[in-house]
Order: sequence, then C-alpha cells, then structure tokens
Amino acid sequence: MMGWNRNIYRSFIIISFVGVIILLLFGIGQTLSYLTTGADRSSMLHLALHKERVYLPKLKWKDTINPGRPIEKQTLQDIEQDYLNAWYIRNAAYQTNTPKGIEDYYTKSARKHIFASLVSNKEKNIAIHGTTTTHNIALDFYSADGQLAVITDTGVKEYQRVYRDHELVLETKLQSDYQVLLMLEDGFWRIRHMVKDKNHTSDPVTQTNRSIKVKENKIFVEDKEYQIKGINYYPQKTPWDMFGDDFDMNVIAADFDIIKNTGLNTIRIFIPYKAFGKAKVKTEKLEKLKQVLDKAETKNLKVIVTLFDFYGDYSVLDWTLTHRHAEQIVSAFTDHNAILAWDIKNEPNLDFDTRGKENVLAWLKEMTHQIKQFDPNHLITIGWSDTISAGLLQNEVDLISFHYYLDIDAFSDAYTIMNTEIKKPIVLQEFGLSSNRGFWSPFGPSEKEQANYYKQFQEIIKQNNIHYLSWTLYDFDEVPSTVVGKLPWRKHKQKHFGFIDRDGNKKPAFEYINK
Amino acid sequence: MKLNKKHIILLFLGTLICTISIAFTTVLKKQDENSAVLLTKERVFEAGNPIVLDFKLNTPVRTQLFIHSSFGSNVIDPDTDDTTRFTIPEFMAKKKGVVSYTLLGETESLYEGEIRIISNTKTKVHLESYIGPPSIIAGGEDYTMQIVIPTDSFDNPLRDSTAVLIGHQFLDIEKESILQSKDMIAWANIFSYDQSGRILMFSKVSETVSKEFSVEVYPSLPENFEIRSNRKHAYADGNQITEFITSIIKDEHGNIVSDGSLVKFVIKDTKGVLLHTQGSTINGQAVGKILHPDHKDTWQIKAYVPGMAESNILTIAYTQVLDDFEVKFDNDNREITIGPLVSFMEQLIPNGTIVKMDVFKDNQKIDTKIKTSSDGLVRFLLQEGFYVSGNYDMQIKALGIQKEFKNIILQ
Repeated sequence: MMGWNRNIYRSFIIISFVGVIILLLFGIGQTLSYLTTGADRSSMLHLALHKERVYLPKLKWKDTINPGRPIEKQTLQDIEQDYLNAWYIRNAAYQTNTPKGIEDYYTKSARKHIFASLVSNKEKNIAIHGTTTTHNIALDFYSADGQLAVITDTGVKEYQRVYRDHELVLETKLQSDYQVLLMLEDGFWRIRHMVKDKNHTSDPVTQTNRSIKVKENKIFVEDKEYQIKGINYYPQKTPWDMFGDDFDMNVIAADFDIIKNTGLNTIRIFIPYKAFGKAKVKTEKLEKLKQVLDKAETKNLKVIVTLFDFYGDYSVLDWTLTHRHAEQIVSAFTDHNAILAWDIKNEPNLDFDTRGKENVLAWLKEMTHQIKQFDPNHLITIGWSDTISAGLLQNEVDLISFHYYLDIDAFSDAYTIMNTEIKKPIVLQEFGLSSNRGFWSPFGPSEKEQANYYKQFQEIIKQNNIHYLSWTLYDFDEVPSTVVGKLPWRKHKQKHFGFIDRDGNKKPAFEYINK
Repeated sequence: MKLNKKHIILLFLGTLICTISIAFTTVLKKQDENSAVLLTKERVFEAGNPIVLDFKLNTPVRTQLFIHSSFGSNVIDPDTDDTTRFTIPEFMAKKKGVVSYTLLGETESLYEGEIRIISNTKTKVHLESYIGPPSIIAGGEDYTMQIVIPTDSFDNPLRDSTAVLIGHQFLDIEKESILQSKDMIAWANIFSYDQSGRILMFSKVSETVSKEFSVEVYPSLPENFEIRSNRKHAYADGNQITEFITSIIKDEHGNIVSDGSLVKFVIKDTKGVLLHTQGSTINGQAVGKILHPDHKDTWQIKAYVPGMAESNILTIAYTQVLDDFEVKFDNDNREITIGPLVSFMEQLIPNGTIVKMDVFKDNQKIDTKIKTSSDGLVRFLLQEGFYVSGNYDMQIKALGIQKEFKNIILQ
C-alpha cells in the first residue's frame, strides 16, 4: 500500500511540474506574441489592408474632369472604395449605435458629429437600419499633391428603417445630393466635410416596349393571350444543382423535348444565390444559364427564372450585394425571348418568422424596383408558398404566384377568395402530390392516387382557367438536406413528386400532366 | 315651354345640392384623418442658432419627429409631452445642409418637409490651409497648390463665392489676390520663379488670418559644366591622389544646384578600361578623388550628373617614376629581393607599391605572387615544399616595368 501511495505522489508531482512548465512556456509565448503585434510596419501604413468589398451600391462616375489636376485610375478606385466604406460603416454604426470603424473613414473633426448623433440615438433606444442603393459621383476637385478631393454625389438613394425600442416607427426612402470633401490620411480617403444639399422625389421608372404584357388579369405574349401550362424543372440527376459540375445540356434538351411533347409551354427553373457567386456572379454559371435559355427558346418554351434560391439574409446592410447579384444576371438577359418572368424568391414568406416580416418584405419590394431598372422587358413575380401571402406586394409585381400543397377540396374556395381580391394574373406556381407510399410513409399516396389527384386538379384548373406549373417532372434519387432538412421521411416525400420515376418510366399521373 | 324651363332649373338645383352635399361629406371625412400644419415660418436657419419646429395638429396624438441630415438620421421627441414643438438637437442644428423631417403620429406620418441650415456668417471664420507639394523646382513650370477651406466656428464650409485673400512672398516679390471659393474650397496654383529660394504664403478671410506656410523652391536641372584636375605631381607613383573639380554647376536660370547633387566622374585609360569615382556638390562644386596610376598612363575624364548634365573631356598624363629596379636572388635562388624601388627623386618609394611576380615552369604559369613594398623592398620566398627543385622562369612587374628571368634553378 505504502509503495502505491508513493508512486501516486511521485507521478502527481511530476505531472504537476510538467503542467506548470507548459503553462509557463505558454504564458511567455503569449506575452511575446502580444508584444510583437502591431509593430508590423505595413499594418501601420494600412498598405496591405485586406479590404473585402461588403458594400456594393450602384455607383456611377459621372465625370472626373476637374480644375485641379487629372486623376489617376488607381486613386479614383481608392476614393470610390473608401467613400462607399464610409457609408457602410456609418450605416452599420447607426444600426447598433456603436461607432466601430468610424475613425477610419471620417477625420477627427468630422467623426464627432456622428458620435454625437449616435449618443442621442442610443439614449432613446433608436436603431436605424439603412443602406444606400445608388450613387452618381462627379469629381469637383482633386489637388495637385493628390491629398484632397471634393466630390458631388447626386441622387443618392437612401433606404432607412427606423426602430424605437425595437418597434418599427418608420420606413423611408430618401433621395439626396451630397457634396463631400475627402482627405488622404494614413492611407484612407477620409471624409472631412459632408453637406447634404437637396432632396429629390424619386424618378419614374422608364418604360420600354415589351413583348410580354399584362392587361388586367391576362398575360399577353406578342399581343396574343398566353395561358401558362407549365412544370417546375430540375434534371433528374441534379435536383437543386442544375448548373453545377454535372451540368449536361444534352440531358436538359431531351427533357425539354419531353415537356414540349406533352403540350406544356412553360418551365420554372431556379438560380441558387451562393452557387452563382453571390455579388460576383460567375461567368461560367451565366454561360450555362444562357445555354438553357437559348435551348428553351429553340424548343419554344417560356421560362420563369426564380432568383435568390437558398438566400436567407435579408438584412438591410446586405442589400447592395444582392442588388449586384440580380443586376449581373438580369441585365445579361434583358432581351432574351425565352424569359417570361423573373421570380424574385421562392417562398419568401416562410422566412417571415426567422428573419422578420418587415425585413423580408422590404427586401422584396426594393428588389422588384431594382430588377425593373435592369430589365424593364420581362415580368416580375414572387413565389409565395400559400394563398394568404399572395396578396402581399401585389402592386409591385406583374404576376401573383402562389403554391398549393394543401387539401385539394379546399383549393377552389381559397382560389376564389384570392381571385376576388387580386386584380392581376394569378399563377398556381407549384402544386403536386408525392407518391411516397413505402417504408417511411406506409399510408402515403400511391402512384394511382397521385394520378387521381392530378386528374382532379386539372379539372379545377380547366374550370377556372388557371395558369399553372406542377411540381415536378422527375422523381429524384437524392434530395439535399438544405431543401427539406435532414429527416429521412421528409426527404423521402420530396423524392416522389415526379411524373416520371427514377428509372425513366412514366407514372400513371403523366397522363394528366396537361389535361 | 315654361314648364319645361322650370323643370330644368329644378333638376339643375337638385344636382347642385347633391354635389355640394357629397363634397361636404367627403370634406368632413377628410377632417377625420389626422393631419398637421407647420407653424414655424422660417425655412432657412443659420448654423448654431436654435431651430424650433412647431406643428399644429387637428387631433392631439403623441408625436415624434424623424430628422435626416448630412451626418445621419435621428428621431426626437417633442419638448414637452403635450406639445408638438420640436427643438432640433444642437449637434444637428450646427451642421450645414438640408434637413428633411417627417412628423410621425402614432401610426402614420403626418407631415413632411425640409429646412436648410446655412453656414453661420456671424461667427469667427476658421481657416484650414493645405499646401502641396511642399517643394518645387525653379523656372516657372513647376507649381504648388494653395488650398484654403474657410469654415465657420461650427466647422461648416462657408458658402460658395466667399472672398478669400491669398498672398505670397518670394525674395522681393509680394503678391496678393482675391479668390472666390467654390466647392467648399478656394485654391490657387503658385508657380515658381526663376530663382531658387523659399516662398512664404498666407491667406485671409474677413478678419481671420492664417499662419505662415512655406514652400521650398529648389534649383532646376543642372546645365553642362567644366571640370579641371588638381594633383601634387604628374608621376604615376600609385600613391598620391588626383582630384577632379567641377566648375560651379548651375541650372539654366543661374541657380547653383542643390547641395548634395551627385556628380559621377568616368575615367578611361589608354587600354580603354573605365574607372570611376564620384562626389557630391557643395555650393555647386563637386570633387572626385582617385589614386594615381602606378604606371605610365593617359587618362580621359568626363563627369556626369546622371541623366541631366555632363562636362567637357579632360585629358591628363602620368609619367613613369623609375626606369629599372634591382632583383637579387639568394638562398639557392629561393629568396628573391626586389628593390630598392626608388621614385622620381631617388627617394624610396612610399610603402604599399604593388609588386607582382609570375612563376612559370615549362612555359606554364604555376603561380602569381603579389606583395606590397615596405621601405622600398619586396621579398618573395619560394619554399621547398611548394617549389620542387628544377628550372623556373620568373616575370616581375612593378610600377609599369616588367623584367624577365629565365631558367632560374631552384635547388
């Protein structure tokens, strides 16, 4: 016993000794590394600052002719970036009432005005969520030594949402002119003076001759009434990843033939926000999208393109990034004949609870305005997930789209209510039934019941003359967890909505795909 | 006919009454809505003065005022709970620019408008001056820019077309001019004069005078110049130093170039080898120094201010210091003593003269020995371990003289 105890004591002493040494060395290491931070000369001069662009409102240099001296391209970019950063930092500061980063972008005498303002807002518990969406800059002056610049920023579109005690007080859109004097200090172009000059009323949206029009509750394509008979489309092998590495134009072309041969005239496809490159849209993705749209045009199919799939951050400070995303995609296809409508977001009302209804709606509303600017030729819609939400923002969109997966017997009533309230074309953008009878769902609908469901639905559609797109062409092998979550029975259900099964055989419902 | 007229009049009256009553009801309905009127008459305020916006409501509700100005937005409450009189907070009231405001009721906005705050002309003017670049070159082509930002005491830029007096002094020139500010600033380019020196500047707006600013005017590019040499004697003794001295280097306007301008002297000897030395100017003159050659040679020297100016070509010759020297073989020819080496007056040559000996065996150079003289003598030792016994040839070079010894037998 004595021997054991001694060994225990010994090992305890050795281990604690080693432990103390480790702690000591770690402590010395930490102290040394702390002492060496900040001594880096490049960081002192802010030369190698990693500046990721997080704020991308539409910015146009109207002119750079000034009496001082011609400006270099590099300086122009520096001024542009630092000026926008100044706005971003200020917007962020007003949102949280903390002056973080302000000193980088405002000179000592300018920043105290912001600090005073923040203190006042903090006292009253006011938070202002704001962003700017447009800047038009003219260079008024650039000094001979390249240290001072004066710019005029006209038509700055500012969006602000004001909260007091976490309650929304006001949502406002302002358009103002600013004259700004900037100075180069410590490698930053800092704002020295900023004077708001004028308020504008917002400018009207330019209208162009579009081949697709909406008159009352009817859609016209090249002056002929257009009845949407369509289907939501993903290739069988690559659901929710249509433009990924396994993109195969031949497969898609063959599917388009199947769709066209059934007599359908429209498809709906999805553009994932992140996979397309967020604010910097990848050209190869645009190229793939163009191939799909070109193919659809040759096959005489119209396409509803759903943007912002899997996007979930509606915060005001993220707006400008999404605007640039939309701009790059939408303006690339302004004149494309295959596109019927831009669907801004799939089922955004499902984000109301987690992201805040006013956040989501404000984002959608601004996005409709943005897309109309970039592309006045095509229609705009939002794919609401139910009939109750369908009335939201109805003045902003051209088509009202809703999805219906509830009891078929309740559909007619819901539709009639909606139809009396809304005076725009209504599109049943998604509906369908999963033939998921099996291990995960022993009492689920069989393929026959699915066929029956479509038969019934087609009758209702015919009676009411409804624009429709069913969900979906194929049964899928795999469903990503991002779509319906990880639960196997949910995934299982999502795999069996198709008209054609995994092996390429037409299910009984196929007969009712169009009639 | 009469009846008809009566009917028409009745009908007309009837419709009139109807329209009036309809109009009345709509008007009445409108009055039910909340609305507000601004009682404050002024729309333009001077910065720093108190700004009070007084509204009149048709039905009393709790209100707050959203204000948006140059540096951001705020929401303020009425001065007292039961009024709709708002005092714009001081930090906002003292900043120039348009202030937009929205009067908010409990649920909707009641009134929108804007006021303009202008810079305060009654306070003391503050001046901020920026001069750059801080140094320019003479000649009237280069310039510096004087920028003045006049502000009021609340740091608001004064309105455009504010008169700004600027002036500068250079040598006996003193100039003043009046500028009109535009885009927040007043600015002028100050061009250099022909002379180098220092320009002093100032500016003035109403009673406020700036401090003194200075800009250095450096001489312009140097013009071509002359060089001369200076040496103690013309002998190629490898010991004395020859100096090359430039004339006073000036720019085209006669300004002596800045001290420290680098002058490069490039020397070409008779074999075409280039040597070089350099010096920097003091009071326009640069001196380059180089050791005399240790053999008879003729040098051609040219000086450059690289990329800007060059000199004439100077030719100087060096004469041989001795015609011959003595070589003594001792210790079975293994100890070779050279010297005494004597200079031009038969004095011992100063220590450090290089003597070079090449050793050949069977017409193959097997070694080169180099030593410097001490007291006019150089001694080479050919040790047995390195030089086996046999016949050797020697070639000895010193001060441009070469002597050959064939078939020296080492034991």
